[in-house]
Amino acid sequence: MKTDKTTPLIQLSGIIKRFGKLTAIDNVSLDIKRGEKLVIIGPSGSGKSTLLRAINFLEKIDKGEIRFEGTRVGYVIKKGRMTLDKPSRICALRSEIGMVFQHFYLFPHMTVLGNVMEGPLTVQKKTPEEARDIALAMLDKVGIVDKKDVFPATLSGGQKQRVAIARAIAMRPKLMLFDEPTSALDPELVGEVFETIRSLAKEGMTMVVVTHQMGFAREIADRVIFMEQGTFIAQGTPQEFFSKHMNNERIKNFLDKIL
Amino acid sequence: MPILSATNSKTSRGGYTPLLVVFLLSCFLLTSTPPVRAQNTENFLVQGKNALSTGDIETAATLLRKVPHPGIHGDDGSFAQSRMLLARMFFSVKDFAQATAVCQEILQFYPDNQEAKNFLTSISRESSPVYIQFFQDTIKFLPALAKGTVMTLFLVLLTIIISPVLGLLIALGRIGSFRPVQSLCWFVIWIFRGTPLLLQLFFIYYALPTFGITLQPITAAIMGLSLNYSAYLAEIIRGGIQSIDYGQTEAAKALGMTYTQSMRRIIIPQTYKRLMPPIGNEFIALIKDTALVSTIAMVELMRSADLLFNTYFNITVLILAALIYLAMTSVFTLTFEKIETIVGAYENR
Repeated sequence: MKTDKTTPLIQLSGIIKRFGKLTAIDNVSLDIKRGEKLVIIGPSGSGKSTLLRAINFLEKIDKGEIRFEGTRVGYVIKKGRMTLDKPSRICALRSEIGMVFQHFYLFPHMTVLGNVMEGPLTVQKKTPEEARDIALAMLDKVGIVDKKDVFPATLSGGQKQRVAIARAIAMRPKLMLFDEPTSALDPELVGEVFETIRSLAKEGMTMVVVTHQMGFAREIADRVIFMEQGTFIAQGTPQEFFSKHMNNERIKNFLDKIL
Repeated sequence: MPILSATNSKTSRGGYTPLLVVFLLSCFLLTSTPPVRAQNTENFLVQGKNALSTGDIETAATLLRKVPHPGIHGDDGSFAQSRMLLARMFFSVKDFAQATAVCQEILQFYPDNQEAKNFLTSISRESSPVYIQFFQDTIKFLPALAKGTVMTLFLVLLTIIISPVLGLLIALGRIGSFRPVQSLCWFVIWIFRGTPLLLQLFFIYYALPTFGITLQPITAAIMGLSLNYSAYLAEIIRGGIQSIDYGQTEAAKALGMTYTQSMRRIIIPQTYKRLMPPIGNEFIALIKDTALVSTIAMVELMRSADLLFNTYFNITVLILAALIYLAMTSVFTLTFEKIETIVGAYENR
């Protein structure tokens, strides 16, 4: 299939993911266009994180199809069952998708600079000099270059998350996934992380954000999706979403609880 | 009764005079010159011995002292004999002054008597303060023990090079998803952790030849120790790897790392700090477990100590061996504490 600007970056269709008897994602389809900022909201256990993790194959899906730049990727059918593609292909796909976790997961045994260099160095096989230049540029971008030589244990939560973002964007990904990036932070540290994500959004990065921060969702999103029990209940632009769907009982309840 | 001889000592119950007369007569008949003098001194010696054997030290001392100087009646060796007996007797009751005096008495008449000379050395050694004795023994035994120590260290070093590597491979095999390798690794751990090391050494050295595999003692020893310790280390390393937050693996995967890359760059380096205390423990146990290879014809520290002890019955040997083991384990303890702080530096604020 030809790749052009109009082809969605990622197309998910008919995604089903089960954990035992529980259906975490129930036949979900989703197209993400280049440059789109998608925010997924919903109560906990609704399958938001699982969906996000399915996009970079951290969660293996049971049914469905994932297309990256128009090409079907990630899975091969073996004996009628969906099996993850060869590890090398999966790794290549993942290196195009950056991910930021709720709990940062910085590498504690490496300095801040080492953390950000790690992807370019190990995965993209860049020379240490190149990797260092990239890492320094990324740390500058998230405003934490002065901490480059310290270990993550000495950083605040907000600083850690900014380093984690720098680590992800150092790979020059085509898509960024944010899995509740501010949920583990003290309220006063949330701002600096949002500021960083906002600046990334302005540069035109395609991103999917799972968050409970409605203010941020409204501000940054091109499209908001409300998810519950593994399906999309409603979606739309923030304006549409926060006005039109407010009469939806379930969404109203959810928003009332967290706002 | 001073004139009794060993041959008719049973007559001491009474009525021995007629028998003695018979004895003297027969002596007279057998030799033209009656050995009265010789008989007398010999009697003192024999009686002294008898008294000694009954534990009557005082009587024995009196009798033995009565054995006359050789100068008076010519020499039949009984003087030296009696004085040596006395010396040993005094030595055994720790009367070193008297023992020395008696020995010197012998040397007065026999300046070249080696036995007396040696015994004097023993006395001076025994009567000298404990620390000097210990020092002298140390000089005497240390070279042989040092040889054994070198062998022990050699075994320990080879094992601590081989077993972590082998242990890591077994651990990764256990963690990995390939079933046959998983089972094989499980089996290896099961066997080598589930049977005594001593049995494994015996098997490798004595039973393998039955299957056509004959090994040098040293090869067998290194094999046994390495396999046994690999099994233990494999489980420790597996625990270490699995104790690392799964988020670390996910973060590595999300960057696009392969399994090998994430293990090598992210997971295993984080286990070092956690592994140091239990691995240090294992290596200290290893130092002591090398003593077991003495059972398969290896002469290491324990075996050297054992050989020396069985020759000299000197407990200094055992104390020295214990000190050497302690020194080795202490060095390991300190080294591992140091390594732990170095590899775990990133956790300190």
